[in-house]
Amino acid sequence: MIKVLEKYKKRIDIPLLAITFFIMFLGLVTLSGSNLDTSHIIINQVINIFVGLIIFTILIFTNPRILFSYAPILFLITIFLLILVHFFGVESNGAKRWLAFGVFNLQPSELMKITLPLMIAWLYQQYQNKISLRLHFTAIFLICIPVYLVLLQPDLGTSIMIALSGFLIIFLAGISWRLIISSMLVAILSSPLIWINLHTYQKNRIINMLDPFVDPLGTGYHTIQSMIAIGSGGGFGKGWGEGSQTNLNFLPEANTDFIFAVYSEEFGFFGVTIIFALFLLLIFRIFILANNMQSTFSKLLTVSLGVSIFSAIFVNIAMISGLVPIVGLPLPFMSYGGTSMVVSLASIGIIMSLNNHKTLIAN
Amino acid sequence: MDNYRFKYFFKKRIQILFVFLIILLLIPLLKIFYLQIIQFDRFTALSKNNSIKIIPIPPKRGVILDRNNIILADNKLVHSLEIDRAFFSALPEIQLRLKDKLNIDIDIDIANKKISYLYENTVPISFNLSDEEIARFVAHQYLFPKLSIKQRFIRDYPQGKSSAHLIGFINRINDKDINFLEKENLTNRYLGSTHIGKSGTEKFYENLIHGTPGFKEIEVDAKQNVIRTLQEEKPIPGKAINLTIDYRLQKIAEKAFGEKKGALVAINPKNSEVLAYVSQPTFNPALFTNGISHEAWSNLNDKDSRAMLDRVVAGLYPPGSTLKPFVALAALKNDIRKPPFSIFDIGYFKMPRSSKVFRDWKRGGHGTVDMIKAIAVSCDTFFYGLGLELGIPKLNKVLDDFNFGKKTDIDIDGEKSGLIANKAWKKKKLNESWYAGETAITAIGQGFTLVTPLQLANATAKLANPSLSIKPHLLLSIDGIQQDKQEVIEKKQSYSDENLKWVKTGMVNVTKEGGTAAFLGRKSNYQMVSKTGTAQLFGLKIDEEYNEDILPDKLKDHALFITYAPAIDPEIVIAVIVENGGHGGSVAGPIAKKVLDAYLVNKKL
Repeated sequence: MIKVLEKYKKRIDIPLLAITFFIMFLGLVTLSGSNLDTSHIIINQVINIFVGLIIFTILIFTNPRILFSYAPILFLITIFLLILVHFFGVESNGAKRWLAFGVFNLQPSELMKITLPLMIAWLYQQYQNKISLRLHFTAIFLICIPVYLVLLQPDLGTSIMIALSGFLIIFLAGISWRLIISSMLVAILSSPLIWINLHTYQKNRIINMLDPFVDPLGTGYHTIQSMIAIGSGGGFGKGWGEGSQTNLNFLPEANTDFIFAVYSEEFGFFGVTIIFALFLLLIFRIFILANNMQSTFSKLLTVSLGVSIFSAIFVNIAMISGLVPIVGLPLPFMSYGGTSMVVSLASIGIIMSLNNHKTLIAN
Repeated sequence: MDNYRFKYFFKKRIQILFVFLIILLLIPLLKIFYLQIIQFDRFTALSKNNSIKIIPIPPKRGVILDRNNIILADNKLVHSLEIDRAFFSALPEIQLRLKDKLNIDIDIDIANKKISYLYENTVPISFNLSDEEIARFVAHQYLFPKLSIKQRFIRDYPQGKSSAHLIGFINRINDKDINFLEKENLTNRYLGSTHIGKSGTEKFYENLIHGTPGFKEIEVDAKQNVIRTLQEEKPIPGKAINLTIDYRLQKIAEKAFGEKKGALVAINPKNSEVLAYVSQPTFNPALFTNGISHEAWSNLNDKDSRAMLDRVVAGLYPPGSTLKPFVALAALKNDIRKPPFSIFDIGYFKMPRSSKVFRDWKRGGHGTVDMIKAIAVSCDTFFYGLGLELGIPKLNKVLDDFNFGKKTDIDIDGEKSGLIANKAWKKKKLNESWYAGETAITAIGQGFTLVTPLQLANATAKLANPSLSIKPHLLLSIDGIQQDKQEVIEKKQSYSDENLKWVKTGMVNVTKEGGTAAFLGRKSNYQMVSKTGTAQLFGLKIDEEYNEDILPDKLKDHALFITYAPAIDPEIVIAVIVENGGHGGSVAGPIAKKVLDAYLVNKKL
């Protein structure tokens, strides 16, 4: 038994796990402070964490070589699933995002957040000695396929996330600055074209971000209520369980997407600073681990997974504080919900697995 | 690119990336700093606004009592059937099911109510359920989970239809009321109130009996459900007011009227307190409290009965012979027809220099008649000549002294001023010149003259107590504190004791043998000072005889009677008008007598 634990201990990175647990703990504290009927929510969230930890454990005992060798196939399968969504997906709110498998719903675009970085990292690992402009363009092409498919659903937020996770790897693999800048220019110039092709509800979200108080009871409602929750928290917050915005139901989705607003209302700017520090530490530790890894694949995949978590955190907080439109994205490790928790913990698991097998993928 | 170079390269890129991520994370941190630290006050206010609502609590309306604390209007705790406001839209369906399953009818006019009962979790849909219906509902409540039974105060009029014009009624505040309240800057006092006084005392003393609303600070959630009360300021209830009315007299007078239409006013001549205020027919003020049905409303406004008309202050009648004592006083003041001057009445008066003849009410005439007898037997012939000699200006001056032709300013709404006509008025109104014959008939209370029962009583009170200088009024005390009487500031002419005595003697003789109401005097154990009157509603042609039996009821004469008693140190003055009652002495007199008896003889009843 002790041996198993010893083995387990060897395979995990204690600082990274400690930071993750601390953030999850703050999430649970925030959830349980609500006066609303939350007992089942707490139990469910503990179950979510438990399931996530099982997957995490499986992954840290998995040889990343398996991941590496299956990367192209996993990528192709996910692409196939995305195409299936297009034809057989469950439609809700005018978007097709889910595949229904009886009781279990699968969102292939979420899967793509892992399988695309896997694929691109695999690509650069495979051709690490022949990195050229052509390789970069191949990578860009591979990124564009899932991004386009997710845009079709339509799901702007997720497709941007997927694109970022892919391009990040190209950046880390050493694409020249000249290319980065020129592609950025192309993106900026093409933005009017994107605007024209946006759906009305997406346009509304962007307009509301610019001035949420224009339509306080309409589409701006969520942003305003969330800003009120944060603002009225002040320096040290209203205290645990004392958030009136939350407990009186003014804040929508208080347990899921808007949990950070609840946290800010109850713990104030002091609490916000602590959680920001934790998020930075999390990303810092992941970068340290990536830097110490030996293989190109491990390094690229680790940073990509880390930045994926960071992006979700950033977009969620920016959305809640009224900086970007409401896109319906949970806060990793804190929001109530199974998928987000499992995917986040799985990412940490993969990173630790890569860390355990620094030399397993030999160059 | 070899592995070593890649590692170096990679390290540089993640350093750049990390710096970039720190900068990126600084943006929301700054935004949150702005929201939480710089804009803290603003968002705290917004957060409170979100969840904290100030709810006015309407005050309890003051009770209206008579002088002996008999309740005329108060607040009754009733069981109301209420609907959860969240399910308001299901009401039509619930209405059908209530009717179908339990045979219970609910109020129809429900659209307004949701606004009236803002921030109450339930809205009343019926106040009118009988005990039996409530029992039936409670037994089947499981069928109607959205409905409940609650207790609420509603305005109650324990005397029913009795004294309705005096008490008045309240009704829902309408747009007109809102405009009025805004103009008077009273909106704050009506926060949360649903009703306002619309007539009678309920309207005139609205200011006193309405009270001041309290406030409740409550916390609500996003769906406007009340979570808890943070603080509460109790409303100040409206003041209880005692009227000068003696409800016992009121009741006796109403009973004496029976089905007859008309009005009765009783006044204390010592201080002008109104003791009885009766207008018949009457209505049920409770009908208005929660909105009156169209049918009930048109019944009340039926042209023949005109139940809503407050006849005491807004009923305009020709005074008929009840005007004669005042005409007599005007003549005596101007040294005309002073006893022992007398005429010989042969039954008619012939206009000088004309063939026109005015008949006396008695065929064959009254024989030798002086001023005293003229009043006692109500001799028209005597007054025709008197009027002609006196002339309208001098007559009107005295009538004005007795407050005819203008409002008494009594403390109730809707008073009319009546009419004392003269040459200028006729020219302006009818564009006709004044005929001498009109002067003659004015002297017997016919012609253009119109008075209200209150004016008649008020003038009689001045006969009874010439030094009386207080306006007739209905308010006795507020919360038990006696109110000052309002004096009339106008300067009056003085009337000599001798003149007053002649008129009084004539009026005393009205109920003595030979007088027009002698039968009343026979049974009386106190001395009455009275005058009968019969007001013609349509002009008889010369020489045409009035035959009561063949006329339809609504064209019959009005019967009038004024009286005060006892003759020495009078305690009560009464004026009675019975519409289409025929002869004044025999119809209106007995009604007055019953009230007098109750007041003077059976005091302790």
